[in-house]
Amino acid sequence: MANHILSIEHVSKSFEGLQVFNDVSFAIAEGELSSIIGPNGAGKTTLFNLITGYHIPDDGKIVFEGRNIAGMQPFDIVRLGMARAFQRTNIFPRMSVLENVLTTVITRQKGNLNFVTPTRNLKSAHDRAYEILEGVGLADMAQRLSGTLAHGNQKRLDIAVALALEPKLLLLDEPTAGMSPEERWQTVELVKQLWERLKITMLFIEHDMDIVFGISQTVRVLCYKTLLAEGTPKEISANQQVIEAYLGEEV
Amino acid sequence: MDSQAVNQSQSGNLNRPGTVAIVVALVLLPFILSQFGRTGEFWIWVTTEMIITGLFAMSLNLILGFGGMVSFGHAAFFGVGAYTVALLMKKAGVPLFLALLAAPVAAAIAAAIIGWFCVRLIGLYFAILTLAFSQLLYMIVFQWYTFTGGDDGIHGIPRPEFLGPTSYYLLCLAIFLVCFMLMRMIVNSSFGLSIRTIRENMERAKFIGINVRRYQWINFIIAGAFAGLAGGLLCELNRFAQTEFLHWSKSAEPILGSLVGGMYSLAGPAVGSAVLIFMKIILQQLHRSMVEMWAIVLGSILLVVVLFAPGGLASLYQKLFRKSDS
Repeated sequence: MANHILSIEHVSKSFEGLQVFNDVSFAIAEGELSSIIGPNGAGKTTLFNLITGYHIPDDGKIVFEGRNIAGMQPFDIVRLGMARAFQRTNIFPRMSVLENVLTTVITRQKGNLNFVTPTRNLKSAHDRAYEILEGVGLADMAQRLSGTLAHGNQKRLDIAVALALEPKLLLLDEPTAGMSPEERWQTVELVKQLWERLKITMLFIEHDMDIVFGISQTVRVLCYKTLLAEGTPKEISANQQVIEAYLGEEV
Repeated sequence: MDSQAVNQSQSGNLNRPGTVAIVVALVLLPFILSQFGRTGEFWIWVTTEMIITGLFAMSLNLILGFGGMVSFGHAAFFGVGAYTVALLMKKAGVPLFLALLAAPVAAAIAAAIIGWFCVRLIGLYFAILTLAFSQLLYMIVFQWYTFTGGDDGIHGIPRPEFLGPTSYYLLCLAIFLVCFMLMRMIVNSSFGLSIRTIRENMERAKFIGINVRRYQWINFIIAGAFAGLAGGLLCELNRFAQTEFLHWSKSAEPILGSLVGGMYSLAGPAVGSAVLIFMKIILQQLHRSMVEMWAIVLGSILLVVVLFAPGGLASLYQKLFRKSDS
């Protein structure tokens, strides 16, 4: 059996009496590129919020590399090697593209408490930031104000910021949300290519079934407060329960 | 909005000849003014106050403009600095320079205590809590007659013989310039970048691993220390510490100065404060009764700034004299 980088163990969560998860358990193998699907409101983003420490589970454990991280602060979990890109673009709009990544690189290097050196003199951090921007194809826009980028490029920057944390596990919440079909496939290509190059574990939420079945090794279906099914794209698309609950007859 | 944010990443990157010219003019100013007898002396006093208030406004702007934290209680630290100087010099006979060193230290301690609670809240709640703490300090100073002199304040703070109006002006200017360089260094450093990162998107800042509260707290302490130094300097200028230094209306002054001058630039708040003081004095000089019109004038200025130049004088300057960076 493969090593599990992350395991969710019997997690339950309610918000003001409304139960979102009831005893959810699953584990993610190291190095896997997997996806989470499910109808709107199934709690996909909430699951990410629980994993990254934004919410605390009522019950159960979230084990990252053998350590229970349930209840830890987001900024501490990040330091353990978990990063996240967001569904709605979540960048630092009045800073340049370069600064968005640079501030993350500096934080990753634990250099925030330097009061003296001008950031423009931090050569290794600059080089690293440019390297990451090149990896997502934004290097030639480094000096642009990030808030003025087109939507697709802002999503790319969001991913670049997450990558600057050098995560072992990267969570992508709908990396193609709000994109044109053409942009979607470019982004999917980017995600796949990053996964192959960086050899990290990736978990993404996606609505487009062509994308989901196209690139994931494992697909997990969240539905009705629990994990409905888990398996390879082939297994999932043939799963009668999943078809009834979510995919519909066409697939 | 755009060009000003880009420029902010190189804060204080003024063109050198221009900066030198301004500094030389500021150094020469009191010598020129002293040729004009009593009027000149009055204006030396006014410009000294401008420099001190400018320092106060710049200190607030570290948290306001760069940190994105609106504080309504910054006068607390200004007042702590002023009373530190007043009490040390008047009651303990401490020399001026030691007292001026103690002022930012005392203010930083006060900011560390008050800030520890305040940074747990955000937005309006943060603002209200800073206001509550500063009013609390105000009431303590107001009531504790035996120690602080209550609303009589502390009079007759000694002034070293060699410090006439001109040399005190130069001392304040020198301190101001040193503080300016220090703040520029902080704003351009990794810490400054982290602070702006938090301002831009606090939630995301947490997800890149920044301990938001801690950095906001440190920034709050730094801002408090500079405010305390400003308070100490004004106390010695007036040779008088009064409860007004701690009043909420004193907290409004640097906010207004920052709005008028431009809170996304380093020098903007200082320029804005100087302009406001200048206009108030001019109004006073025109006619005594005109002072009552100050509220109307101030209101009109703010209206114009908010409507037509939301980036304040700093962004107007950039539009007029600099090419766009992009």
